Amino acid sequence: MQNKTIPDTRWMGLPHLAVGLIVIAAIALFGWQFLLADSEIAVLGMVALAAMAAFGVGKTGLNKSMSAAMRNHGRSMNIAILLALVCVIFLLGGEHFPLLMLTTTLLYMTVAFGLNAQFGLTGMVNFAGASFFGVGAYTAAVLTNHSALPPILILVAGGVFSALIGCLLIVPVVRTAGHYSAVVTIAFSVMFKTFLEVNDVLGGPQGLMVGPMKTFGWDFNSSPLLMGMELSFYVNYALLGAGLAALAFMFVQRLERSWIGLTLDSVRLDETASACFGLNVVRAKVLAFTFGNILIGIAGALYGMMISFIAPNSFSFSDSLLMVAIVLLGGLGSLWGTALAAVIVVLLPEKLQILQEYRFLLFSVVVILMLLFRPEGLMPRKVRSYFPNWRPEQ
Amino acid sequence: MDIGLFGQYLANGVMLGTMYALVAVGFTLFFGVLDVIKFSHGDVLMLGSFTGFTVYIGLLSLGIENPWVMIAAILVVSIITTAALGAIIARYLVLPLKSAPPLNILLITLMLGTAIREAVRLFYPDGSNPKAFPALLPTASVDLGGFALRADSVILVAAGIAVIIGLNLVINRTRLGLAIRAVAQDEETAKIMGINYTMIVLVTFAIGSGAAAFAGIMNGLYYNEVNFGMGLLLGLIGFCAAIIGGLGNIYGAILGGFLFAGLQTIGAVALPFASAYKDVFAFGVVIALMAWKPTGLIAERSSDRV
Amino acid sequence: MSEVLLEFKNLGKNFGGVRALDGFDMQVKRGEIIGLIGPNGSGKTTSFNLMTGIYAPSQGEVHFDGADITGMSARKVYEAGIARTFQRSRLCLPLSIFDNIMIGNHARLNTGLWFNLFQRRALRGQVEEFYTQARDLVAGFSEDLAGRMFDPVGSLPMIERRRIEICRALISKPKLLLLDEPSAGMTHDETAQMMDDILAVRDRMGGLSIIIIEHEMGVIERLCDQCVVLSYGRKISEGSYAHIAADPEVQSAYLGMD
Ligand SMILES: Nc1ncnc2c1ncn2[C@@H]1O[C@H](COP(=O)(O)OP(=O)(O)OP(=O)(O)O)[C@@H](O)[C@H]1O
Ligand SMILES: [Mg+2]
Repeated sequence: MQNKTIPDTRWMGLPHLAVGLIVIAAIALFGWQFLLADSEIAVLGMVALAAMAAFGVGKTGLNKSMSAAMRNHGRSMNIAILLALVCVIFLLGGEHFPLLMLTTTLLYMTVAFGLNAQFGLTGMVNFAGASFFGVGAYTAAVLTNHSALPPILILVAGGVFSALIGCLLIVPVVRTAGHYSAVVTIAFSVMFKTFLEVNDVLGGPQGLMVGPMKTFGWDFNSSPLLMGMELSFYVNYALLGAGLAALAFMFVQRLERSWIGLTLDSVRLDETASACFGLNVVRAKVLAFTFGNILIGIAGALYGMMISFIAPNSFSFSDSLLMVAIVLLGGLGSLWGTALAAVIVVLLPEKLQILQEYRFLLFSVVVILMLLFRPEGLMPRKVRSYFPNWRPEQ
Repeated sequence: MDIGLFGQYLANGVMLGTMYALVAVGFTLFFGVLDVIKFSHGDVLMLGSFTGFTVYIGLLSLGIENPWVMIAAILVVSIITTAALGAIIARYLVLPLKSAPPLNILLITLMLGTAIREAVRLFYPDGSNPKAFPALLPTASVDLGGFALRADSVILVAAGIAVIIGLNLVINRTRLGLAIRAVAQDEETAKIMGINYTMIVLVTFAIGSGAAAFAGIMNGLYYNEVNFGMGLLLGLIGFCAAIIGGLGNIYGAILGGFLFAGLQTIGAVALPFASAYKDVFAFGVVIALMAWKPTGLIAERSSDRV
Repeated sequence: MSEVLLEFKNLGKNFGGVRALDGFDMQVKRGEIIGLIGPNGSGKTTSFNLMTGIYAPSQGEVHFDGADITGMSARKVYEAGIARTFQRSRLCLPLSIFDNIMIGNHARLNTGLWFNLFQRRALRGQVEEFYTQARDLVAGFSEDLAGRMFDPVGSLPMIERRRIEICRALISKPKLLLLDEPSAGMTHDETAQMMDDILAVRDRMGGLSIIIIEHEMGVIERLCDQCVVLSYGRKISEGSYAHIAADPEVQSAYLGMD
């Protein structure tokens, strides 16, 4: 029942790519202004505007045109998105705080992409996301203070250590399923924070200083100059954060659009049947768990270097839950959903200080409602398409 | 180690074990009837002890100071409150998600736990600070060779064990217990036998949550302190205890509770590193146990039929 | 190459106190279609589960294609060449038809990390190749389904799902196909249609042996070279359909049930 004539999904007669680029530009502009907005009223107004726009997108068929653009011009669109992000970073130029917020959001996004490979694809909920994030940050702290390792390697080390610590959990996590596996990561999360608090070498409850990121003679904590204008040193971190999030996105997306993604899905949906068709369930779980932890650890290392001071309180079980909430809100396995949810969960409370105090309460209630009424998330994942621009003749 | 200190640790361990077992029994009951984990259990417990604390403040302001009256009132009000809350959670959050992926119920109750915790922290008067729970029980003690066994400890442990035994009797000896076990065995058959399924589920959740309130009050009376974060740790410990015992098995839950308390005590006294690591040690052992026996020491009945 | 593809020797399984299967001997020759019948709870599915490594047998042996596969893991059994369907359909509902069939094709998928992440062009070649194969296989059952390879399976009616499940088992070109009540929930005509399709596919693949569990006696009569009857975990009769249909013990087993 293939429609021979593909219905015209173009929006206002414009080519899909043009629509896509316009939307990206609009979102970038919006994001730039949103990050700069400083009165609560302005922020609220912009949130309302965004909600209305999101509603309108569905009504006017813009979303169809957008997904066509993503499908047919994936590469151009991705490059455009990255460029837009870089533009926003430079436009924010000298503004410390908005850049810090943006980078934090990007790093949480990276974490959520990692969690998505574990939870969204493979069905292994990791309730210790903040702990692995913390492993990365503490690795960075120790290595910047006690070694001469180049910081880019420290980022890698953050990922590696996080994966290694994950290996301690791998046996119980892989051998158990569902509730049993949940208790392993929850226990680890609580244990990890207690460990940090009582361990003097790691600074106890007060935490540790983290050295700055320096690469190729480029000190990340000195302010770069652009055309004679001095920029905030956070520009460095924001650029790196954007690169990291983009790489994480690319990896998880490619993973999803491959035989491995299929294997992970199958393991999530039915382990017994998977085994009956020769799938190596253990390999799939180990792969997804490690892959996710590496991403989370790298993000944590960069986070540590950026905020330059870390303490156990940033890596609590509640933070882990918030990370899981991002994945749930966005929609399991849906990467764009995850990106959107990361913005909502991380950026919104930062911009609306009244929310900051209430954010755990707010987002737990939101997730409860979501699970009750829209369990597929804000932007539900679509059926896998290995190569979106490949349309087999039918 | 001298005998006095040993006795001290033993008494403390037994107290903790009783408390943990009470919490774990709740997890096991919920899992028994519905095959679900209600992770908000610990925070329901915390709410129970805050309710108790509020009752105490209220009674004080009414001028009632008889400790036994106070304890009775505290227990009655907080147990009824949490029992009702447990039933409401079952009715509006757990049952509607029964046909969803099982993990969703764990997630929704985790989030509910956070919501309860945060709500107490934010909205209870000065909720972010610990509250001094009164010592209402007699504190007279007998000296047992260098170790003072206090009456309040004995009463608490005895009461806790009595509650556990009582619960066990209810499950195994009463018509209600029969209905609960029937539902746990097989929902469809239970329905055909004319058991009001929803009712039994709600009652089970109410019973489990009531037991948690009891544990919460016990905790308050023992440590003379309640705080908004206590439920997370107690809930997690109860969950771990129920899991290492083997979900769905009451004896497993009791075993798991005492095992965990034992691990903590060993971590605090018998190991070379600082006692601050006792929780790290206990959770570490739990994780290792999970690797060794993935479905608990007393294995859960298998449910995945092909 | 011996004539016998599969052999059970004294196979048995206890679940706690329940003897689900007891001293079961059976042989399947290459290219043969065996009907496995018996009242509810007589151990038919259990024998499939023992064969495919879901449960380890409590006693006895399973030999397949010259090798002892007793107690092997499900993965190894699949690699040896046994594929199955499940009594209660076990497809991945959110995944597309194509994805579900590719799960059955797992032995031939390249699941290397490097290949999947970075050799996208080669991956694309593999996807296209298997797409054609899967499509052709599905088309043998239903042209309509073959045109909807990227629809989620959850959106299909039960009958179509059964077909997909059979395709998932067939795509790996197994030596032995196990069908557990493939016609459950179908009308008489639909069942007949599907059996024809299975036979047609089997002819194309050549030499495939099938064990089919089925309550519909018409199907058994038409399809099977040999029948084996189980009751309370024991084999009570075997032989041609005419033979077992006339066997008084079989009749009483069925009557005793009803
Ligand atoms: N995993 C299991 N745990 C416990 N008992 C089981 C299990 N699987 C099967 N049984 C029992 O083994 C016996 C045989 O079951 P089996 O599923 O093999 O029957 P069947 O012949 O396939 O019946 P049906 O026609 O109903 O599918 C039954 O009594 C069943 O209750
Ligand atoms: Mg069967």
